[in-house]
Amino acid sequence: MKNKNETKKYVPEIPQKEIEELRNSIKTTSQKIIAENIERMKKTSKNRAKTMQYFDENANFFGQREKEIQAAKASGKKVIGYMCMFAPIELILAADAIPVRVNSGWYDASKLGDRIVPVEVCPIIRSTIGAKMIGLSPYLELSDALISVLTCDGMTKLSEILSDYKPVWTMPIPRVKDSAHATRFWREELLATKAQIEALTGNKITGKRLRSAIELTQRATKAFRRLQDIRKGAPVIMGRDAMLVNQTYMWDDIKRWTEKTEALCDELEKMAQQKMWACPPDTPRVMITGTPMIWPDNWKAPTLIEEATPQGVLVADELCSSERLLYDPVGVDEWTMDDMLNAISERYLMASTCPCFTSEDGNEDRINWLLTKVKDWKINGVIYYVVRGCMLYAMEYTRVKRVLDRLNIPVYYLDTEYTREDVGQMKTRVEAFLEMLSARVDI
Amino acid sequence: MITAGIDVGTQSVKAVIVKDNVVISRGRAFSGFDPAKAGELAVAEALEKAKLSLADLKHVTATGSGMDMAPYANSTISMMGADAKAVVYIFPKARTIIDVGAEEARAVKCDEKGIMIDFVVNERCAAGAGAFIEAMARALEVKLEEMGPLSLKAERASSINATCVIFGESDVVSLIHRQESKPEIARAIFDAMADRVSSMVYRLGLNPDVALVGGVAKDIGFVSSLKRKLGIDILIPDYPDFIGALGAALVAASRVKEA
Amino acid sequence: MAMEIVGDVLRGIIISGLLLAGILVILIWVKDKTARISTLRLFVQIAFVPLLFLGLLIGPFGMPQSPQVGNAPREVLLGADILGHTFPDGISLPVLACWYPSGRTVTCPVWQMQAYIFPFWNAGPGFGWGTFYSSSGIERLAILMGIFIVMALVLGRFFCGWICPFGLYQDLMIRVRKLFKKAHLNFSDRTSAALRQSRYIIIAIFLILSVILGSQAIFGAQLVPDTQPGEYFYSYFTAPFCQVCPMRSLCVLLETGLGFMDANFVFSNTHGAFYEVGYYVTSLNLIVLGVVTVVSLAYRRAWCRICPLGGLTALFSTFAPFKRVALMRLHKDEEKCTKCGICKRVCPTQVTEVYEEKGGDVTASGCMLCFRCVEMCPYEDTLKVKMAGKTVLKSRNWLEPSESE
Repeated sequence: MKNKNETKKYVPEIPQKEIEELRNSIKTTSQKIIAENIERMKKTSKNRAKTMQYFDENANFFGQREKEIQAAKASGKKVIGYMCMFAPIELILAADAIPVRVNSGWYDASKLGDRIVPVEVCPIIRSTIGAKMIGLSPYLELSDALISVLTCDGMTKLSEILSDYKPVWTMPIPRVKDSAHATRFWREELLATKAQIEALTGNKITGKRLRSAIELTQRATKAFRRLQDIRKGAPVIMGRDAMLVNQTYMWDDIKRWTEKTEALCDELEKMAQQKMWACPPDTPRVMITGTPMIWPDNWKAPTLIEEATPQGVLVADELCSSERLLYDPVGVDEWTMDDMLNAISERYLMASTCPCFTSEDGNEDRINWLLTKVKDWKINGVIYYVVRGCMLYAMEYTRVKRVLDRLNIPVYYLDTEYTREDVGQMKTRVEAFLEMLSARVDI
Repeated sequence: MITAGIDVGTQSVKAVIVKDNVVISRGRAFSGFDPAKAGELAVAEALEKAKLSLADLKHVTATGSGMDMAPYANSTISMMGADAKAVVYIFPKARTIIDVGAEEARAVKCDEKGIMIDFVVNERCAAGAGAFIEAMARALEVKLEEMGPLSLKAERASSINATCVIFGESDVVSLIHRQESKPEIARAIFDAMADRVSSMVYRLGLNPDVALVGGVAKDIGFVSSLKRKLGIDILIPDYPDFIGALGAALVAASRVKEA
Repeated sequence: MAMEIVGDVLRGIIISGLLLAGILVILIWVKDKTARISTLRLFVQIAFVPLLFLGLLIGPFGMPQSPQVGNAPREVLLGADILGHTFPDGISLPVLACWYPSGRTVTCPVWQMQAYIFPFWNAGPGFGWGTFYSSSGIERLAILMGIFIVMALVLGRFFCGWICPFGLYQDLMIRVRKLFKKAHLNFSDRTSAALRQSRYIIIAIFLILSVILGSQAIFGAQLVPDTQPGEYFYSYFTAPFCQVCPMRSLCVLLETGLGFMDANFVFSNTHGAFYEVGYYVTSLNLIVLGVVTVVSLAYRRAWCRICPLGGLTALFSTFAPFKRVALMRLHKDEEKCTKCGICKRVCPTQVTEVYEEKGGDVTASGCMLCFRCVEMCPYEDTLKVKMAGKTVLKSRNWLEPSESE
């Protein structure tokens, strides 16, 4: 454990009073924004599944779930935060700890991060730093340790900065993933993290426990996939609602989340039978891909798309904050410890379509997956969403555009920042894009 | 059938009245603080020229960044959509449209029906748009209208950075300090703008024929820089700043037909 | 006669009925989609054991424990007479259904190739353990290879994955290992590739040995001594590969243990101090069987990596020009594949092509078409088994509860 008197590497000392003031003001704004976002989501949806109620409540960062985790912690459970979807949730669950994703979506917090890192840095990183500086994010605060997967430059240095506050376990990830030594390397990283988790929680990860953890996430994946598959048809759920469901997985109790999502799917299937669409079935079908969009603040792009005139509906996305989270199951061949670990390590490394990877053919996996999504979800147009400073996504755009152009699928590069001020400008662009799509749909 | 288009721009509001696909009058007013009021003025001017009354307008379509504030509007269309419609109406062979307005530059690709296929908008800085020329004219202490003719007198090319208006201005100041002549600095300003605009066009794919519209199309300095950069001839309509409004009016007409 | 035909038809109906019933039961009972094809495959493998050794079930029983016990009764042999040629050994399926034990209905192509190269026929008509060969070895070899190639083109190494009894033996070893919750080992990709190459060296060795040992009869000149009829090599080396094949010892030991073969007879037909050579079993056979059994407990389907029969089947189904006309193929959709690596990990013979190749036809020579990868691939329609261009099986989201198909 770190000596408290030791000087911090990055973070300046901020007077407690200032911290408190900042936290209270941002928290109040955030609560307002959460309520407003949900209100707007309700309004957009012509028919909205009643089971969404649960997710609406769960969307409140400062609500029930925070208290639940606090209670669990009081009873001796450990909380392990993670910043990237590469973190092996199954191992955390098998050690009877609570996994929570702690990236921050608060616009205002990013301005605090500017005190430590320059504005050119990705706002998700800045905002996470800012949130930690004032103790804004309840889940980040409750975490006993953080798993940081070094996917991009931002994440790499973020883990360094956050280690001023908490133990951070880094997991470097190989950038070229389909070689035998890359798999071996990642598996070793996984084993190291497993040992750290075991040491922190004091619980040994046995084969039996790991198996039940895998079965738990498999069931979650099943519900998750069912939800995405429902969206292949005429829209019964608005994209933002689905994105919210996906996103709550990052902090919810996984078993309960699965049950609620299954209930949601049941209701959505019934709605589809009764042709109770969430919006007119001829609404242009949009897919969004790019930088992760983190609840609650960074919700403007999907909001713009679904509230624009002409309206668009998000039927799919390729975001690590949403559909990439859980689409790939852990495929176990033999239920031995060895194979389970292999399966976990492969599921996180190999199946991922994160743009941090490359190969001789470039990031072929992501391109192929985008094409599959475009075809299977009958996408009319793609919004390529990038926040300033997110190099990997920004640079891969040209290739994605070229491939989609060949399929005659329009794609628009929408760049933005962690700020509310550019909504007007973004609106102009999104609406022009959707107008273009509806003109095509009409033809 | 008489329809009208209103283009609520950042600097001025333009209105065009079209009768059976022929332009019969135009009107303009400065946006100021109340674009809605300016819209009314522009429409009133156009109506007066055409000797019509508001009731004669079958359908009014608004466009421009302030289209939500446009008066009398029955529907709206994006600026890119309006540009595409109007340019293909004027130049049936044009497939790429560059629209450089006061605070935004756009490149639009369209098909033979005037339906846009793809578009690019300049990043959030006015350095590639009309406001940049205005700011630079201030720095050079010349009138806006003189900038173009001035730049044509330049004998050689110097360069400035146009990633941002502010940095552009400091570059201009350093050129002044190096005692470069005004025509050369003026040309450097247009070259920098044309650089940005042409890179946008290249991102979209350069399809001849290219049309340049928007207020800045009236500036001969910019036009000659852009021609040099793209290496091709550029089509410029007679009233480039009214293209948005014209497109909107044409769209209004087609919407009446559909209904 | 008529009664016999009726009896045969009845038997056929009962057997196929049982097979279908078994398949249905598995499809209904096995809800776990990641185990359905595997269970089905195990059932088919087990069902094929009695079919391959049908003679043991339907007799004729009580035959004298003589050399004839090694040959199958002609009544149950598959394709005993083809194109006017008598095949006293029956035709061969590309599986290790050994020629030596009693009751087999088919025979092993590796034995047959060696035996027909090695010229019985020159020793005089009717020679060959009291069975009658009506034509020369070359003609029979041509017919055998023709049939073999056709089968390889139609089903390819499907035989290896689904029918071969020695494959079943190794799969049972896997299940034994799983009972002890032990993880399997993997060969490195390089070793794995080298083993795959070695199959062709083994094929070349036994073919060349057959020619050398049969040289007296083929060329009329002895290349090595003791190859005249009645001499050491002639008596024991009619099929050089069978002297090391683990399947021969497995079959013979099993049948001896079950009482279908006479132990005294089996072990008296050996030569040398420690079963140096033998008609039914050699110490080499036993050693290889022992080694393969132990290695199969650690490495999945270890023998199949070097099996010359698998190599031969692959030769006629996965290499040009045969691969263009081969019917049973494994296909991959490049766009749907996320390269998650599951197919590579679950493959019992460590085939890497399915994972590594971009898409299209990914049938590899090491692949025995067990379809474990298709079963485990979690992406809908990514891997497909195509029979003559028609999809017969495809990967699906195995998380979904099974629907009736």
